[in-house]
Amino acid sequence: MRKTMMVILAVVVMMLVAMPVYAQGADAAVQKSWAVPLAAGLGMAIAAGLCGLGQGKATASAVEALARNPGARPGLFIFLILGLALIESLALYALVIAFKVLA
Amino acid sequence: MPEQLRFTALLNRVFAGPVNAFLEKLPPAFHPKYPEAPISNGVAMEVLVVAILVLLFLVVRSRLSVEKPRGSQHLAEMLHEFISGQNEDIIGHHSERFIPFLSALFLFILIGNLIGLIPGFESPTGAISGTLGCAVVAFAYYNLHGLRAQGPVGYFKHFLGPVWWLSPLMLPIEIISHLARVMSLSIRLYANMFAGDMVTMAFFTLIPLGVPVVFQMLHVAVSFLQAYIFTLLTTIYLSGAVAQEH
Repeated sequence: MRKTMMVILAVVVMMLVAMPVYAQGADAAVQKSWAVPLAAGLGMAIAAGLCGLGQGKATASAVEALARNPGARPGLFIFLILGLALIESLALYALVIAFKVLA
Repeated sequence: MPEQLRFTALLNRVFAGPVNAFLEKLPPAFHPKYPEAPISNGVAMEVLVVAILVLLFLVVRSRLSVEKPRGSQHLAEMLHEFISGQNEDIIGHHSERFIPFLSALFLFILIGNLIGLIPGFESPTGAISGTLGCAVVAFAYYNLHGLRAQGPVGYFKHFLGPVWWLSPLMLPIEIISHLARVMSLSIRLYANMFAGDMVTMAFFTLIPLGVPVVFQMLHVAVSFLQAYIFTLLTTIYLSGAVAQEH
């Protein structure tokens, strides 16, 4: 299982790196088109970028609230962790879809 | 023969016959793809995690003492304080009856996440079947307690929303959002564990020495965090189901 996963990941990395190869000949020798790895990579990148923005905003407000009121640390910590994990899970849904599309 | 971990091979060697017989007797008779190995890796690892937890509980129970508490008792008390404090914050009064289930859920997910780091073992939560099991159990638990606390009619009124003329709109939305909780709980845990493995593997193909260890450490931190998040969200759903307007 680990070995096949390593092989799949190496192939994915190579496919993402060797994009010009697919741009030259648009033949459909394999069932999947050239757009599939592109879509997976782009989709995950956009999800990760937006997740970074959202988590940055959440962390910024938490740190500012902590600076105003250092005594509220326990309650703030719980809300911060909950918020970060929920935002992160949205990016992870995109990752799951990307993997489903690639396989 | 499928690729099996050592523990799975041990379980299959001992229990393959009875498990196959049991699977034949079920209403849709299951015929496993490899009849000599009907127990999959995920199921075997879950059994191992439960066995480890039972062993831990027995050890802690045998070392409890009032005068001279030892290390394991301190850990158990810390866990109990943590879950009980969180319950009181979120659910309020009468929350003691939820502590056993939430502690068991937290410990199962935590040990299940961490066991994947040991070579030769695999996380039961690293497969969607394991996490879906945890999510469905949590869903059933909070719905059953909501039904028990408020009766079927009172619990159904929850789904209708705050005002009566919005209820045809609110009912499908509430039902879908409740079902989406199962999906989000299971996929969040699965994707975190799976992504940890993938990211370690990705850096392993690039730099096989030193760097993947950093990602294993990240995986440890993520395991703790995700177990905590699962328990916290289950507590929040419980509070939503059990809360009574005074």
